Amino acid sequence: MTSGLSAAIAIAKKDIIIQLRKKFEVFSMFLFALIAVLSFSFALVSQGSIPEDVGSAMLWVIIFFMGMFGFAPIFLSESETGTLRGLATAPIPAWSVYVGKVIYGFVLMGMVEIFLVPIISLLFGFSFLDNLPLTIAVLCVGTLDLAAVGAMASALTMPSEAKATVFPLVYFPTATSGLILLIEITKIIVLGPGLIPVMLLFEILLAHLIAMLTLSASVFHFALTP
Amino acid sequence: MNKNRLIFFGITAAISLLYVYMTWIFAPPDVVLGENIRIFFQHVAPALVAYGLFGGTLLCGLMYLWQGDLKYDIIGAVSIKLGLLFTTITLLSGMMWADAAWGTPWNWDPRETTTLILWIAYACILAYRASVSDREARAQFGSIFGIVAFPMVILSYLSIRIWNTLHPIVIEASGLQMEVEHMMTLLVAMIAVTMIALIMVELTYKVDSAQEKLMRIRMSRS
Repeated sequence: MTSGLSAAIAIAKKDIIIQLRKKFEVFSMFLFALIAVLSFSFALVSQGSIPEDVGSAMLWVIIFFMGMFGFAPIFLSESETGTLRGLATAPIPAWSVYVGKVIYGFVLMGMVEIFLVPIISLLFGFSFLDNLPLTIAVLCVGTLDLAAVGAMASALTMPSEAKATVFPLVYFPTATSGLILLIEITKIIVLGPGLIPVMLLFEILLAHLIAMLTLSASVFHFALTP
Repeated sequence: MNKNRLIFFGITAAISLLYVYMTWIFAPPDVVLGENIRIFFQHVAPALVAYGLFGGTLLCGLMYLWQGDLKYDIIGAVSIKLGLLFTTITLLSGMMWADAAWGTPWNWDPRETTTLILWIAYACILAYRASVSDREARAQFGSIFGIVAFPMVILSYLSIRIWNTLHPIVIEASGLQMEVEHMMTLLVAMIAVTMIALIMVELTYKVDSAQEKLMRIRMSRS
């Protein structure tokens, strides 16, 4: 278990270092998010503002779409450079490869979100300051949930002939359930307590994350063995 | 056709006729919904059967990964196709009911929305499977996809308990919250639709297996 986790951290570290050397991918994701903010503003801004609940919901929609950029190459790059075989034959459990990629996806998205969340909050005119600890917890769990789904979706696109087209088809069905919960929780944080207790939704989101991680990690060795 | 199958077909036909009778003649109009209650039986039974079929995809995926037998992959894919068919019936009958009860066919109610997402999600699995030409890879990766997509089914089922919704909660821990005649009709509807679905699964499985064999013969000849 410990060796598996240290292998996962080593894989994540390797990917993060490669990513930091490239730089342009993180910057491209950030720019894509800003373009999305602008595009949505054309449809949503009415009399100089956007309703708070709509704005906060758009935050996760933008992060969801940004994930398509960030998560799609997670395994495809390994497959294209021929290093996937090395990962598959390495003397480490298959789940540690998956967990390593999830950690990498989480860090990658986190790097963009640090800048993106305050900007979107400012432009769309909503504030998370009413419940900052819960906001940080939701951002962490939500991003981890999307990374867990995105890493698995990237692995699933490997055998497909139309990889670029197929990734959204795999990412959407698995990520939507988490996305709905994230949007709902964020709306409640921004608007204040509603009819639904926010902690119940947060617990369901946590359960979703645990279910996705467990399901994916337990079947991941089938995705690595051709 | 063997005797057992013939008996099963006969029982299904008889229960289906009973289902039609109970839905349209036996079940009394509802106090609130009036005659529109009859749409309810065409709505709930296919919805629960669709959930069951998507659950079948999950089980077949696990069985394929465990045993490597291609028949589980074929049954899993058949479950998706028929699950989509029953979800379509659920959505259409739901829209008819919503139009009659709430004045508009689509309300973006959490149950409506999550059911539509469910339809799109499983349609995506079919599209994904079609994009993988290698048969073994399609079975292996398709099984994994069928497993990791299942939380959406749970969320769709639980949506009326999580969110504030227009949908009434009929199935409670204490039992079904409805009149006895409606409860009996729903039970018969459930049995009839489940039996019809099982027959459809078997027939579609046979067609798909035959296609699979044909494909293998063609490939071995070429």
